[in-house]
Amino acid sequence: MMVFGLRARTCWALRAFAVSRRPLRSSSRTHAFAKELFLGRIEKKEVFPFPEVSQDELNEINHFVGPIEKFFTEEVDSRKIDQEGKIPTETLEKLKSLGLFGMQVPEEYGGLGLSNTMYARLGEIVSLDGSIAVTLAAHQAIGLKGIILAGSEEQKAKYLPKLASGEHIAAFCLTEPASGSDAASIRTRASLSEDKKHYILNGSKVWITNGGLANIFTVFAKTNVVDSDGSVKDKMTAFIVERDFGGVTNGKPEDKLGIRGSNTCEVHFENTKVPIENVLGEVGGGFKVAMNILNSGRFSMGSAVAGMLKKLIEMTAEYACTRKQFNRSLSEFGLIQEKFALMAQKAYVMESMAYLTAGMLDQPGFPDCSIEAAMVKVFSSEAAWQCVSEALQILGGSGYMRDYPYERMLRDTRILLIFEGTNEILRMYIALTGLQHAGRILTARINELKRGNVTTVLETVGRRLRDSFGRTVDLGLTGDLGVVHPSVATIVEEQMVLKRVANILINLYGMTAVLSRASRSMRAGLRNHDHEVLLANIFCTEAYCQNLFTLSQLDKYSPENLDEQIKKVSQQVLERRAYICAHPLDRTS
Amino acid sequence: MRQPRLREVKAVSSGHAAGGQLGRNSNPRLPASPSDPRILAASLRAAVGTPRAGFGFPGGCPGSRGLSWAHAIMLARGLSRGWRGICAAALTGAPFSQVPSQAPRGLHCSVAAPSSGSSLVPRPPEPPRQLAKPPAPHEELFRLAPGGARDRASFVQAVQNFGQHNVHKRGHVDFIYLALRKMRDYGVERDLAVYNLLLDVFPKEVFLPRNVFQKIFIHYPRQQECGLAVLEQMESHGVMPNKETEFLLLQIFGRKSYPMLKFVRMKLWFTRFKNVNPFPVPRDLPTDPVDLATLGLRRIEPDLSAKVTIYQMASSRDSTGTADPTEQHIVGIQSPGQQAALARHSPARPVFVEGPFSLWLRDKCVYYHILRADLEPPEEREVEEIPEEWNLYYPMQLDLKYGRSAWDDYEFDIDEVEEGPVFAICMAGAHDQATLAKWIQGLQETNPALAQIPVIFRLTASTGELLASSSGLEEPCPPPAQEEEEEEDKTQRQQQGQS
Repeated sequence: MMVFGLRARTCWALRAFAVSRRPLRSSSRTHAFAKELFLGRIEKKEVFPFPEVSQDELNEINHFVGPIEKFFTEEVDSRKIDQEGKIPTETLEKLKSLGLFGMQVPEEYGGLGLSNTMYARLGEIVSLDGSIAVTLAAHQAIGLKGIILAGSEEQKAKYLPKLASGEHIAAFCLTEPASGSDAASIRTRASLSEDKKHYILNGSKVWITNGGLANIFTVFAKTNVVDSDGSVKDKMTAFIVERDFGGVTNGKPEDKLGIRGSNTCEVHFENTKVPIENVLGEVGGGFKVAMNILNSGRFSMGSAVAGMLKKLIEMTAEYACTRKQFNRSLSEFGLIQEKFALMAQKAYVMESMAYLTAGMLDQPGFPDCSIEAAMVKVFSSEAAWQCVSEALQILGGSGYMRDYPYERMLRDTRILLIFEGTNEILRMYIALTGLQHAGRILTARINELKRGNVTTVLETVGRRLRDSFGRTVDLGLTGDLGVVHPSVATIVEEQMVLKRVANILINLYGMTAVLSRASRSMRAGLRNHDHEVLLANIFCTEAYCQNLFTLSQLDKYSPENLDEQIKKVSQQVLERRAYICAHPLDRTS
Repeated sequence: MRQPRLREVKAVSSGHAAGGQLGRNSNPRLPASPSDPRILAASLRAAVGTPRAGFGFPGGCPGSRGLSWAHAIMLARGLSRGWRGICAAALTGAPFSQVPSQAPRGLHCSVAAPSSGSSLVPRPPEPPRQLAKPPAPHEELFRLAPGGARDRASFVQAVQNFGQHNVHKRGHVDFIYLALRKMRDYGVERDLAVYNLLLDVFPKEVFLPRNVFQKIFIHYPRQQECGLAVLEQMESHGVMPNKETEFLLLQIFGRKSYPMLKFVRMKLWFTRFKNVNPFPVPRDLPTDPVDLATLGLRRIEPDLSAKVTIYQMASSRDSTGTADPTEQHIVGIQSPGQQAALARHSPARPVFVEGPFSLWLRDKCVYYHILRADLEPPEEREVEEIPEEWNLYYPMQLDLKYGRSAWDDYEFDIDEVEEGPVFAICMAGAHDQATLAKWIQGLQETNPALAQIPVIFRLTASTGELLASSSGLEEPCPPPAQEEEEEEDKTQRQQQGQS
């Protein structure tokens, strides 16, 4: 920490101070880029130019990155961690001494107080080992995030220093056997004791990362809350629970497919007495706390995966250039070259998206970038799976062997599609949050049109005319008259439509990010910017074609739209709960 | 060399021992349209009589000869099935007298079993009961050797014996008809090889038409009918003919013959109809009433997660007729959705046990009871509202202030009749309140809410229309157990069909 300059330090302190007073809200704060995309507008000033950090800051990061990178490449034995299913104690100690357990904890509480951009940069290195990355993320991206976002001054002063130093490890306890994303079915219950000084906590949580290591738990439980109208309701409340409160036990670590070094287990609370001052946020306000924690932690996956992919490209390129078949190295074959282009392109796009989002988050005014963060998560996790799979293809048989690290990377990558909200759920989130925003504005406009407001009519017609003359590319985001599909009221049930909307939006955001970054690189004359332009061009063209196809599918009666048939097939399969076709060898006679 | 043999066979096999010419052309069994009562009666008379009785017939109404030919051709070209069933009585040879009374049978079979043994085709006639005194020719071939069993081997032996004892195959048509009737007793009615063996009894190449006139008119009609009867019995048992059958038919009757036409049609339609039923019933139903009830309940309940519970086993199989409620089997089914609905049900409103309702599984009838409630009045219905804080990840509802107008409604206007919920279904050995109360007791273990809800038994005295219309049965309730004679089922159904 000594390496940080005074200027940066004051800057972060200021920011940290502001963060500590950050109000807890789930509604939009400012006009964010993604939400405006749903209205067919591109808020250019949000995304152009690509966010930059100052030279001083950059030097400091690089200064800081060096030792961590060295540690990860030289001292961390990922293979051993994976085989033993445990991160060795000395590795954990070293991570703590590097300050990696308190990257986003404000400096006044003993953390590094990194901005989101810096955090993303360090994530690139930490992700070289999946188990360590997940352990750290569970600790600070969700485990202690609640205290930073919603904790009181006393709670912060009490818990954050020890958490930042790594003396205590945090865990986030939300998932239950009966409750994944369904908050209504949470069974863990906290009831107020008779002296009204404690809550008695009872229940079980499953799949808790760091559950066996953690001393501090952010626990969500149902409490009875008296509503304003006097009725008693069940509402979710967040608690900070120490292991020392008693009654906290955990099961044995789960045997997992990937990230085997991270500790995942069940955590049981049995008559755990939680003091009333350990309620996080308000009583009954747990839902919003949970939502904010989940929404805030996602953007860093983009840079983390990019870091991993860069390493993967190095390793596979080495192989492809040395392995010879038919007296030619693998790198001379077109199908192999294609895979490298794909990996480079995906890494470039997700890097751009991640740093663009981090830069937006670091802007003053605390913009709500949860849609952007979700887009980064969806894109990067899917690209990671695809790229690692392609890398294994390049490596052929050796990719499948345990002697090489590739199969471990494949296993570790798989979890990215699942945790922090599965990609399916995040697509719903992206599409619905955006449509809600757009829907409010557009329905207001439609209602005015229906009432025959002359100004609005003229404005609409005028905009159409202007668009048809002025714009060369029809982004196709809005239908006729710039209004959305009329069945918007039932849109929540149309998941296949929503998935397409989300895909289009993710592509658009990715295109924006690479254009912004490539143009900045060109203007600034960065090394190999022509390569960036190539990558940007490839991605934008591909994404544009994809979007055109998806848009044509959105048309209700288009030949590309096979939703009805797809639904029918799945319905028939699910009705019988089996594959119902006759065997190809079957005969009737 | 060939010609004399041919004539001999012809003379014998037509069953009239008359000159071939007359016996063939006058053919009393061919068509006689049923609308012509005189001919029908005559042919019936011919049918019930011994072969000898039919002998004098052709001369009896020579005038109708030409007419019946026209009818014959029309009929064979495809009269409707029902007519054929009735005509079959007149058509299918001398010894069959029972057919008319069985004709409507097919209409009352289980709807779920189109490919079953008891399909829409009239069953090959049973041996006549009242006229059983003069034994059918060749009956002695099927006489059991002491200690012999009625099985495939002995049937095959009998058929082979016919060939051995009867080098000239005298009376083979009668023998085949007899064998067809016997097949059920020997349990070979679904054995394709046996059918082929039967067809093999026909002399080869004798009945092949040799000139264009023979091709136009039915050549050797009695033999062709007999061949058709074999194929029809195969059809009614769902036996698909194979290449060997085709080869035999070609050898016996040639390509341009009615059995061959029948064969081609079977080849075409069997494959198409074999899997036409999306809910097939197993061919051999379980004999155990509990297994049968489980099968029936599974067919009624579409939800695959539904659980079948055996609340009580019959204490002994034989006592199914007794009315002791402690000894009857009770099998019930309930799905998780029904369980949840019952838990939500308001204790202020009663639930009803209703039944018995009948369910046909092939030739067996089982009875079930349902536990149901009336539809909730609209004012009491809870509106399902989406909780505010439900989904941690995305909004479950978009609160848009946009009323949909009539222009936005793409749906068809469908009238839907809502019905009250059914909470559980059961099948029991007895249909009285005492037995069903045991079922409700058993249900209460998995549905604690049921203890608070009043249960009203609305049992119909009889088990439905079937028994209500049948006066001949000894006891109207309980309904016929599955073990009961199939004959009685049949009479019930007939009475029902006629009423």
